Amino acid sequence: MDPQSVSKAAAAVSGATQAAAAAVSGATPVVVHSGFARFMDGVYYVIMVPMVYVALAVMVVGIIVKIVSIVSSPAPAFTLKTFPARRHPMLAALGDTFAMPQIRKRQPVFWLFLVWFHVGILLLILGHFDLFPNLNIMPAASRHMLGAGFVGVSVTVPAFYFLARRFRGEDRHISVPSDYLLLLLLIFTFLLGDMISWGNSWTARGFVMTKADFKQYFGILASFSFADPKTVLPGSHYHFIVLHLFLAELFMMILPFSKIVHTFFSLPLNILRRK
Amino acid sequence: MLDEPTTIYLKHLFETKLNKAMRLYLDTCSRCGLCVDACHVYASMPETKYTPVGRAEVVRKLFKRYFRLQGTFAPWLGETLTMDDIGMDKAYEAAFSCTGCRRCVGFCPFGIDTQQVMGIAKLLLIGVEKQPQILAMLSDMSIAKGETYTESSDSYLEAIRNLEPEVEALAPKPEGRPTIPVSVPGSDVLYVSLSGAHSIIPAAAIMNAAKENWCLSYFEAVNFAAWLGDPKKQARISGRIVAEAERLGVKEVVIVECGTATRVMKFQSGRHSFKVLSIVELVARYLHEGRISVDPAKFQGSLTYHDPCQLGRNSGVLEEPRYIIGKLTKNFVELTPNREDNWCCGGGGGFISLGEHEFRMKSSKVKADQVRAAKVEVICTACENCHTQLTELNEHYGLGMKVESLTNMVAHALADTSV
Repeated sequence: MDPQSVSKAAAAVSGATQAAAAAVSGATPVVVHSGFARFMDGVYYVIMVPMVYVALAVMVVGIIVKIVSIVSSPAPAFTLKTFPARRHPMLAALGDTFAMPQIRKRQPVFWLFLVWFHVGILLLILGHFDLFPNLNIMPAASRHMLGAGFVGVSVTVPAFYFLARRFRGEDRHISVPSDYLLLLLLIFTFLLGDMISWGNSWTARGFVMTKADFKQYFGILASFSFADPKTVLPGSHYHFIVLHLFLAELFMMILPFSKIVHTFFSLPLNILRRK
Repeated sequence: MLDEPTTIYLKHLFETKLNKAMRLYLDTCSRCGLCVDACHVYASMPETKYTPVGRAEVVRKLFKRYFRLQGTFAPWLGETLTMDDIGMDKAYEAAFSCTGCRRCVGFCPFGIDTQQVMGIAKLLLIGVEKQPQILAMLSDMSIAKGETYTESSDSYLEAIRNLEPEVEALAPKPEGRPTIPVSVPGSDVLYVSLSGAHSIIPAAAIMNAAKENWCLSYFEAVNFAAWLGDPKKQARISGRIVAEAERLGVKEVVIVECGTATRVMKFQSGRHSFKVLSIVELVARYLHEGRISVDPAKFQGSLTYHDPCQLGRNSGVLEEPRYIIGKLTKNFVELTPNREDNWCCGGGGGFISLGEHEFRMKSSKVKADQVRAAKVEVICTACENCHTQLTELNEHYGLGMKVESLTNMVAHALADTSV
């Protein structure tokens, strides 16, 4: 099915939304409006379907290229470990990576937020797996995402803290523009996610969109049917979903080229220090 | 702005440093700021350029400019630097305000090694001939001595013979062998000293008291090129000692109280047929095996110990000095913090050789405060640079204590054998 016909089919299904939009912009000439709407439909479609694949590909290939470039570099000529030597260097490196004792000891508040954030990120990824058609992390009957909104808050609040601390003292001076922009990108992505997973239920009639709707969208992606997601995600919340996806795609594409690579490199770095 | 061939040459030099560790160091820093409080220079003079991350960022900003896409498309994202006079001046300020103590490695959640990253800055400075000339000259002299030592050996041997009475005053002359044997094939231990008599006499007395089959190296242990940041020269300087040790067939090479020399010989001079240890480890072993003993009555007063960074957290000699001190006195007070968390004295990284008195004193205020808080009469250490720096800090900040070398204390407290 080509995108054009998908778009037409989508317009038929979400007719109510289209009608409402036309009513609001009554003064605008119909031709211009529908042209713009078609353009936006196209943009939305690109963001919601092809760009997801592109972003995933950029992320995966980018990470692989980065890892290969490091693995293929010469090993350091001598040990870089520090002393006292640990009896089990690998365990010590794992401890450094996942428990961050260096931070716990010196900045316990920062450490608490970091742990809260990173556990939140893990649950967030798990929560998104719940949207795959054949996977159920939460009971199938549950209308909620994992944590019923708390997971989203668990990444959003620490992200605000991380941003705030970059505005004070020496942390402000050592920060570069990309540090702020990356946090802002995360914060907006999270806030939109919060709105979708949690805020979306704050209506008199309950959920505007349900997890079942999101599952259908993931079904489109997983089946490579290239259908227009608008057909399965009705209502005005669609704009937020598109924006959420757009920011998430930006993040995925930036990831291999940003300091987020610490996800992959924290352990090898800590092994260098211990072994 | 540097001309294009120079920029290409500098990029090439930069690339020679991009091993696995360095790529990880340059790509991963999240500028969390944990390392800020690790640096004694920043603790004494709180300016961003004196934070470990501030220093490493200079190199990282050059890296992003020349080796990363964002340097071409959005250099403002990471505030990149170019390899021009400004960039090189910043590289100098970063590299030569860092003693390479690696205290920050223990603060960083990833263990990023600022000393290693500064190695790139130092190599680039050599590339544009902006390296500290004193260190370059001293490195070249060490290398030249390695090539011509046979020509000057007579005067060296005579100077060594003149020291023998002082050694014999501390420990009896060994039977059937010279008091200070020099470069003797078949020795078990090759002791590598510094150029001053003070680095030879106490160690010679201790080894004679232990009836060790030892000899003195023709060369001095100090490796100026390690501070200069010239890996090739560093290898040539340490290579002289390796070649001598292999020629003599020694089992162990023992390094004088010098942190950097110990670390270079232990970990950075390749694989060899002999074991490398610090004189501190050797003395601790003699005491443990009962080959020497010390008279605890010889030392009076309260004592503290300064862990030299390159000997302690960077070479693992942390408990041996405490074991030795335990034999010398019961009146020992630890500095706070100590061992791997000890503050750098501020004299490392070649700063003593460079002079830099004003910077060394200002940047080590935190060290002076730490030492003063211990409220002791004597501070001892096991590194020549630390000893010099502590002596000058003692004078500058009016700490009113005596600065001692651990080996010297042991040599003067040798039991039964002292005359």
